[in-house]
Amino acid sequence: MALTGRTALIAALGALLVGLVLPSWTRIAVVMLPLLAAIATDLVLAAPVRRLTLERSGNPSVRLGEAVDVDLLVGNPSRRPLRARIRDAWYPSAWAPGSSLTASRHTVAIPAGERRRLTTRLAPTRRGDHHSGKVTVRSLGPLGLAGRQANLDAPWRVRALPPFASRKHLPSRLARLRELDGRTSVLTRGQGTEFDSLREYLPGDDVRSIDWRASARRSVVAVRTWRPERDRHVLVVLDTGRTSAGRVGDAPRLDAALDAALLLTALATKAGDRVDLLAHDRHRRTAVAGRSPSEILPAFTDAMALLEPALIETDLRAMVSTALRMAPHRSLIVLLTGLDAHQIEDGLLPQLPLLTKRHEVVLASVADPRLDELVNTPRTTVRDVYGAAAAEQTRADRRRTADLLTRRGITVLDAPPEAIAPALADTYLTLKAAGRL
Amino acid sequence: MRALWRRWRWWLLSGLALLLVGTMVAGIPGSDSYAPLDPRSGAPGGTRAADQLLQQRGVTSRTATSESELTAALRADDTTVVLSYPDELPYQELARLAALHRGARSRLVLVAPDQPVLNAFSPGISTYYSDADGNTPVEPSCKLPEAVNAGAAQLGGQSYDPGPSDTGCYPHGGTRRSLVSRTTGTQQVVVVGSARPFTNERLDREGNAALALGLFGAHRQLVWQTPGHNVAATATGGHKTIDELIPSGWHWAALQLTFAALLAVVWRARRLGPVLSERLPAVVRASETTEGRARLYHRANARGHAAETLRRATRRRAAAALGLPHTAGDPEPTALTEAAAARLGRPAADLQHLLYGPAPTDDAALLRLADELDDIEWQVRQP
Repeated sequence: MALTGRTALIAALGALLVGLVLPSWTRIAVVMLPLLAAIATDLVLAAPVRRLTLERSGNPSVRLGEAVDVDLLVGNPSRRPLRARIRDAWYPSAWAPGSSLTASRHTVAIPAGERRRLTTRLAPTRRGDHHSGKVTVRSLGPLGLAGRQANLDAPWRVRALPPFASRKHLPSRLARLRELDGRTSVLTRGQGTEFDSLREYLPGDDVRSIDWRASARRSVVAVRTWRPERDRHVLVVLDTGRTSAGRVGDAPRLDAALDAALLLTALATKAGDRVDLLAHDRHRRTAVAGRSPSEILPAFTDAMALLEPALIETDLRAMVSTALRMAPHRSLIVLLTGLDAHQIEDGLLPQLPLLTKRHEVVLASVADPRLDELVNTPRTTVRDVYGAAAAEQTRADRRRTADLLTRRGITVLDAPPEAIAPALADTYLTLKAAGRL
Repeated sequence: MRALWRRWRWWLLSGLALLLVGTMVAGIPGSDSYAPLDPRSGAPGGTRAADQLLQQRGVTSRTATSESELTAALRADDTTVVLSYPDELPYQELARLAALHRGARSRLVLVAPDQPVLNAFSPGISTYYSDADGNTPVEPSCKLPEAVNAGAAQLGGQSYDPGPSDTGCYPHGGTRRSLVSRTTGTQQVVVVGSARPFTNERLDREGNAALALGLFGAHRQLVWQTPGHNVAATATGGHKTIDELIPSGWHWAALQLTFAALLAVVWRARRLGPVLSERLPAVVRASETTEGRARLYHRANARGHAAETLRRATRRRAAAALGLPHTAGDPEPTALTEAAAARLGRPAADLQHLLYGPAPTDDAALLRLADELDDIEWQVRQP
């Protein structure tokens, strides 16, 4: 049972009647008894709540930061018209900030035996699955004084996918990829390039690429063109451990890493390479392998949506062995992890020969712009100086670790969150151009 | 601060306005705030003018309202008591006051008393219950010194028939007198038919003022009766508690409002569905360890360590800017200082001291060193 404000208002107005005309217990009874009777009538005449039928539909996924509409089809099978306040409850992070109260409430009137569609607009603020709560229906009686109320189940899930903010970098990288393609001969020859075709020499072409034999057969000077090898294998390894949980700017490191992984995946898929994904901390979190090019990006975003940074130390040894199992042939292995000195030295260095023996390895780490801020603040107090010294120390440690890895043949990227995705894409293109895949 | 002001300014301003209006209203000398004949009242019907004149002549004046105050005043020696409203005293109180043993050298002035009052305080004097015109001045026509000194006065109002031993002044034909005085030893009772000649409005006419000074200024103390709770209640409608002012029906209305409030509680208490709470991931800033390290340095006063870290960073960047060969560790000291000295035009020993010198000994030196390292780096980067 639930009352409305109208009931209290009528009772309050009754006070005027009691005060002005014949104040006594009987007068109070004259006001209250009909009111109580009206409430009882309303309760009896209100449309039954528990027999309502609820059906959901709508888009089950949305990019983080965008809005999605979820429909709720409410059917009234009873023989009384339904006048109701309905709350479509979702967990707080499913709403656009500040809209949870207004967006979740609906007022409907459904005639007997009919159905109505209610639309709830969500704008998740957190990546991952958002489940709906209960649907609360308050069915009011014809007088609008009181109503029946019940919580009904209508489960639904909206998956908030990673925003892939770096997709704005994709067109420029695709343009560079086309330059690498067989249409030009400016690329250098290497292991991963294959002979594509012969064409007429144009001023500006590398003279080393002139095919003298072919030129001799024709009347024009011919140059050989190569194109980067296709069908290479790329394995993106995400570290979801402790280092990925640290917040850099507004979001955890993992979000920047996901963004970079998505840009790389989109680019490599266009370039005709196969991309697999592994997320690992102490155990394997998720793995996506062997998808066709058309479905790979949706599969990755879907898998990434559920990844959460865990506050545990990453087992790099286990991570490397899992990655090796997933990459039996020569591959580009991209490790998106931290640059913690002791973690790298203890976990990764002993495993490195296994990795580099057969694979090309890139290690990308999200740098913290706060370190630059600490170093570059005007040093007016001793606290500033110590802050700068500590930041320099951290940077020196990271650099030393990076140098250590570089000397073992790994490409190391250390870039702030907004730059890591394009930097990784550029590294991929450079490696591809150099035929090192 | 600004936001606070924005939010509260209207409340503040309205509060100030309310205060101002209240002060002004309170400051207005209300004609109705005092009863007529009150010595504090500046209204035409008040007697402040007379009271001021008396005080200038060394008479101490006060007011009395309650029975106990009046009793004290009547018992006191050397005192003039003016009963401005003798008719309004309750019967028992009147009897108790009349039965008092009055003080020596005292005068009791009764203003327009009716017969019961006269019977109580000065039996033998009777009233005519007739109002004489108070506008035409009347000669005293008696031997009473105060009246003789005052001469003609506008004394009218009720008129009285004096007893055989009494002095009657200001006749209005026959035995009617507007002023009757009876002296018993050093105690005197004066009955006046009206107090109008002594009000602010009329004091400056004829001999009114002189009469007032004579009547009220005979003794050092002067006590004015003012209508109080018991006296004024019947006259002006009086003060009631707020409870009495509310019609009784509204008690029932309040009860009904309580029921309404209960219904409102039931209305608001039922939520539209339960509260949903959510598990949120722990969020730690990535720079937390670095900042913690900075605080540790600070607490330990690790000046040497901080200085060495900053120097090493500067050496590395300066070496890169000067085009020295890249090495994994520290650049070669002599090569670096010489290259930097050549670029900056400063003595190499100076730079050697700056880049490789001893650790600073106090905070000021550390700050200075940090600044100088910044300068060096900036200058080296300039082409």
